[in-house]
Amino acid sequence: MGVADARAMHPFIDIVEADGKADRRLLESLADWCDRYTPLVALDDDNDDSIGLFLDITGCTHLFSGEKRLIDDMTTRFLHQGFDARIGIASTVGAAWAAAHITGRAIIDPGEEAAFLAPLPLAALRIGAAIRNRLESVGLRTTGAIMATPRAPLARRFGAALLWRLDQTLGHLDEAVSPRLPVAPLSVDRHLAEPVTQLDDIERLVAALSITLKADLERRGEGARALALTLFRVDGAVSRICVGTSHPLREPLMIQKLFHERLAALTQDFDAGYGFDLARLSVPSSEPFEVEQTDLAEKSEQNEPDLCLFIDRLRARLGHDAILKPIAVKSHVPERAITHFPFDIGYEPNKAQADNAEYRSQRERPIRLLRPPEPVHVPATEIPDGPPLNFRWRRTFYRVARSEGPERIAPEWWRSIKDEPTRDYYRVEDADGRRYWLYRQGLYETGKPAPRWFMQGIFA
Amino acid sequence: MARNAAARETVFALRHKIAKIEGRLAERLETPAADDACPAENPTGDATTNATIQPTLQTLIRRDGRPADILLPTGATGLDRALGGGLPLAALTEIHGAETRNCGAIAGFTLSLASRLLKAASDKVGPVLWIGTHEALHEAGFPYAAGIETFFGIAPQSLLFCATSKLNNALWVAEEAIRLAGFSAVILEIRGALPSALLATRRLHMRAREAGRPVFLLRHAGPVEPTAAPLRMSVAPAPSALRHTLAGPLKSSIGRPAFTVAIDKSPAARPGRFILEWNADECAFTDRETPEIRAKIPLSVVPLPGDGTHPAPASGTVLAFPPDQPFTSGRQPARGQRPAHRGSRRTG
Repeated sequence: MGVADARAMHPFIDIVEADGKADRRLLESLADWCDRYTPLVALDDDNDDSIGLFLDITGCTHLFSGEKRLIDDMTTRFLHQGFDARIGIASTVGAAWAAAHITGRAIIDPGEEAAFLAPLPLAALRIGAAIRNRLESVGLRTTGAIMATPRAPLARRFGAALLWRLDQTLGHLDEAVSPRLPVAPLSVDRHLAEPVTQLDDIERLVAALSITLKADLERRGEGARALALTLFRVDGAVSRICVGTSHPLREPLMIQKLFHERLAALTQDFDAGYGFDLARLSVPSSEPFEVEQTDLAEKSEQNEPDLCLFIDRLRARLGHDAILKPIAVKSHVPERAITHFPFDIGYEPNKAQADNAEYRSQRERPIRLLRPPEPVHVPATEIPDGPPLNFRWRRTFYRVARSEGPERIAPEWWRSIKDEPTRDYYRVEDADGRRYWLYRQGLYETGKPAPRWFMQGIFA
Repeated sequence: MARNAAARETVFALRHKIAKIEGRLAERLETPAADDACPAENPTGDATTNATIQPTLQTLIRRDGRPADILLPTGATGLDRALGGGLPLAALTEIHGAETRNCGAIAGFTLSLASRLLKAASDKVGPVLWIGTHEALHEAGFPYAAGIETFFGIAPQSLLFCATSKLNNALWVAEEAIRLAGFSAVILEIRGALPSALLATRRLHMRAREAGRPVFLLRHAGPVEPTAAPLRMSVAPAPSALRHTLAGPLKSSIGRPAFTVAIDKSPAARPGRFILEWNADECAFTDRETPEIRAKIPLSVVPLPGDGTHPAPASGTVLAFPPDQPFTSGRQPARGQRPAHRGSRRTG
């Protein structure tokens, strides 16, 4: 039906353009929220006309005192969020889909799929409209009729997809549901009767959860390398807060400290709304925990744990690349000769990188480097390819008292794609004794514009 | 003993009071007095004075059980004497620069202190952590490990950098890092004003004192604010000496880095202004005041203009030595020959 026809029938109708991306975002946020029931949540977006979620609740129902209670709880919560949810539970994906889409609110016991599906129309089988029309044109109008028909002629006339779907729905074939998010090996939940809004309360929750988690980690002989705190807001929003650790960790106090920093960094963008009613602490990645030997004075040989905790807290608050370690690289181009890596306790530069001490140029290099080099206005040089007599940098005029150079640095031929001009570096000192590193990009040539000058470094 | 004894007593009473407020004990404070008296007894007053005083300082124990301030001698005789023996190690040290463009000298002086510290320390020492706001590190240039290694002998492995977006975070990182034995020194670089400077510096100083490791607070382009640091120096660049070759000083070359260091505040309460040269090979400062060095420096480190006048005068004050011989006034017009418009305008 076109918009004009619709308007003719209902003059006051509101027309809103379909927005598939927004629908998908909404569905994903709902899927996030459904994490509270099971970690295995998948989107059902195979075909456009039906949008839904698959939840693998195997082994989860007892937490909600049974399947019926689970459906009740879910329906109520969705209703409070403003959604009318149709829910079906079955032992196969297809049967659950049919239960949710065709009848709504149904629990099919294992083995009852065939009996449940028999009276349903063909739409219950998740098959395309073309096949469905052809089946209906030959008088096969219900799923039961298809089940009663011999399989070979059906496969020959309507393709293997039909029987494949039928077998999946009846449980003869396995159908995998691929979850949206990787499932954490360990996680602990805390349901709250009264939603919490304060950061202090959340930190206390983290402490309680990490004490529970510690027992699990000890049983597995592991420590957490990453921790994720998932907070479910009462209105359906879910926030995930992740922290990484630089060595396996299981001490509740340390975990609490890390989250303290992370939450302190979030204060501005943290919206508690009407409060959180479920908190989950999970361990997405873990490693074997090695117990360190201490002497009688409770002092271990290294002071690394302190440093590890410091680095972790720093990262939790300021981000992963907050603390950088310079590493010398085999390159003669100044800005590439030193690269900065996020500092990691266990990380050692490999032998090839560490052994290049003799490769490092013994020439004098500035102690501070401007990234990127800043353009400098040079009005004149004494001789065409000589050092500048004076220059203007950051709107200030400098008179060069002394200069050394040039040191010509060509671009690395194995990297540059086009002909990049060479750089002639000069070490200059101004009248007040400030020492700078300037370079001229290219050469003075007749018929070409004058080369540009740049300020790249500052000497001690 | 020509000084007024009553005035001197008042000064000591006041110093004692200040020491009580600052948590230092009076024992340390008697040394400057002894030092003051020294020139009278020993008119030559040179390195021997320091040599006799320093061991007595280090054996002092405070009443609260902590050892007396451990000092790191800077190696420059004049500066050490003015500081009462050296740089306090378990303390916050402020190093100021007037402008951001002086950051090369400020960072250089700090790194040379850190370099001496690493060298003085025994076998294995932790890295130096350099903290700064993104803005400060961008404006002044990011520390470049290759140059730091050539000039100050600090290997890239013993450097760590931390750039934060906010000043508060930088202060937080510094406060946390001071505690760790894993770092041998912490350098905090701040550009512009520091809100509630006295409180912030006091927190840093207290932690540094507890940990027994130095914290260097680099400040540039900011106002001079009250500070809890026992030592505050302002650093400016100084024209470097010429390079030495076998054939004598190399003309118009740029030699060892030089700094002008002025003591603004120190426990010894003696002001001073020194021009120091950093010798990277020996990892030591040389005081340019000593006569043998002074003899090697050409009188005019800034060459005079060859012809014509400069387009603009050099900004700021020239910190080099005033030339002993007067400028050749051939190029400058005599007073009477100046153009009329430069004269007084009130005549009409």
